[in-house]
Amino acid sequence: MTKPDDPVPPLARLASGISGLDEILRGGFLEGGVYILQGSPGAGKTVLANEICFRHAAKGGRAAYVTLLAEMHTRLLQHLRPMAFFDESVIPRSLYYVSAFHTLEGDGLKGLVDVLRREIKGQKADLLVVDGLVAAQESAPSDREFKKFINELQAHASASGCTVLLLTSGLLRQVSAEHTMVDGVFELEDQLFEFRTERSLIVRKFRGSGFLRGRHSFRISDDGVKFFPRVEAVFASASRPDTLSDAKISIGIPGIDKMLLGGLPAATTTGLIGPSGIGKTTVGLHFLSQASAAEPGLLFGFYETPARLCLKARHLGLDVGDAVDRGDVELLWQPQRENVLDELAHRLIGAVRRRRVKRLFIDGLGGFLESATSPQRVSRFFSCLTNELRALGATTIFTMEVPEITGPVVRVPSSGVSALLENLVFLRFVERGSILNRLISVHKVRDSGHDPSLREFYITDRGLHVGEAFAGVEGVTTGVAREPASAAASTPPANPGV
Amino acid sequence: MQTILVVDDELGAIEVVATVLEDEGFRVLSAANGRHGLEKLAEGPVDLAVIDFMMPLVDGAALGREMRAHPAYKNIPIIMMSAVGESVVRERFDGYTAFLRKPFRISALIDTVRRILA
Repeated sequence: MTKPDDPVPPLARLASGISGLDEILRGGFLEGGVYILQGSPGAGKTVLANEICFRHAAKGGRAAYVTLLAEMHTRLLQHLRPMAFFDESVIPRSLYYVSAFHTLEGDGLKGLVDVLRREIKGQKADLLVVDGLVAAQESAPSDREFKKFINELQAHASASGCTVLLLTSGLLRQVSAEHTMVDGVFELEDQLFEFRTERSLIVRKFRGSGFLRGRHSFRISDDGVKFFPRVEAVFASASRPDTLSDAKISIGIPGIDKMLLGGLPAATTTGLIGPSGIGKTTVGLHFLSQASAAEPGLLFGFYETPARLCLKARHLGLDVGDAVDRGDVELLWQPQRENVLDELAHRLIGAVRRRRVKRLFIDGLGGFLESATSPQRVSRFFSCLTNELRALGATTIFTMEVPEITGPVVRVPSSGVSALLENLVFLRFVERGSILNRLISVHKVRDSGHDPSLREFYITDRGLHVGEAFAGVEGVTTGVAREPASAAASTPPANPGV
Repeated sequence: MQTILVVDDELGAIEVVATVLEDEGFRVLSAANGRHGLEKLAEGPVDLAVIDFMMPLVDGAALGREMRAHPAYKNIPIIMMSAVGESVVRERFDGYTAFLRKPFRISALIDTVRRILA
């Protein structure tokens, strides 16, 4: 028996079982709560509610799905059948579908409450979905009667510990009585961004619990619904404290390590900036070729398939393919499609966590930028993402492609992002005597000195090699090197010697 | 004229089944759940019942059991309809005469009704 001084136990949760949603809700719905899922037709309400029911049934729970619309369950089940979560064996024992359309038509809200109460009791349901709240609202003779209906439903839900999801296509911007009365309001949207669409969820209200605020993307596929909690919300503070270290991580190219005075500072983020074809991916393959069981590597790339990368590495004399076979390196290719920015971030963080990755090569930043539907959030997104990668102990190299092959201006893809990176390395082409030379320079390294000179580098079948400082010419940063006026009229370009 | 009772909680399903059977020359009574179905049975003789499995208040299995236990209704043939498979239905009630898996073709419904009432 509970004594007056006993601490009040926290409200129990009913986990949705939906990937990412329970993270947004800090554990799930509160048991016995009444929640509105709102969105225009096609926003994903019905699929989401059904998946919650099936996942609940799969965990041993019991759910009732009541429709108030003249919609056929048969059709609904046919649409759900191809989805991975669909399991006919739970119907009707653990998941029961009924229509209360007739009841609403004949007996009004009073009859509907009676049906819902009996279904909760009769099916021993601890989860009830009412699909088509708008029909109940339309059949209410007055706002007062509709409030009374919501109130009675809340009372039954609370008394029986049954969590209720009310699905409606009404517009949330018209804040009405039911929104103030229920325990939570979830708004689903399918927004158009020029030619593409992106689904999102906003939790407008969630009584009795914290939650991740703002707009969270989600995707519906045959695997079901997957939410991707907004990176800036979920990683507002890194999941673990930043562990500072003086350790250096070899980039796998002695000449660059020397320019970095020993390598990249461990658990930092580096921008590798340069035009197409300069050798950014080659640097990354060197970096990954140094991966081991103690320092697992990951290539998170958008442009080249794993097979092509392994071939490329072989042409450079690097055994990345063997490292993949050993499990020291994973090549995670992200085909260039309509990616969701937060989905990419969660996939990346998941892969880093799964193998405790220490050497991370992201090829490249452009893949993330092209997925961003809102440019305003890019800087903050990368700030949170890179903070988390640091906290996880990953030494990260991002490639950042610049549009100009040569020229006096280097246009960094996102200046807001480059400011967040601790180390910056530039690769550039310089024309000298009708030959395009490759140059490398280090612009900043966190808490460390570095070789400030511009050095020539060469890519051969034995990999990338750094040569001498590109001395004896001027105008290098304009993209076209000139012999100083005092120098001899024609000096042949240096022989790479490899 | 033979009378068929159609019991289904989905308005669309009732409308389709009732229209098809009326076109075939049957008199159709309809009910939205098992409780209403029992009330309709009490109103007069019924030659066949077409019953949906999942319904609110009194479901198809419960209605079927009540009919089989009632002296006046125990011999009325029953066509059970459901979107779930027959094995699931049979676990709850196996006293039906025929089973139709939803969605079914109109011809399948007519053939089944004609066969039972022949």
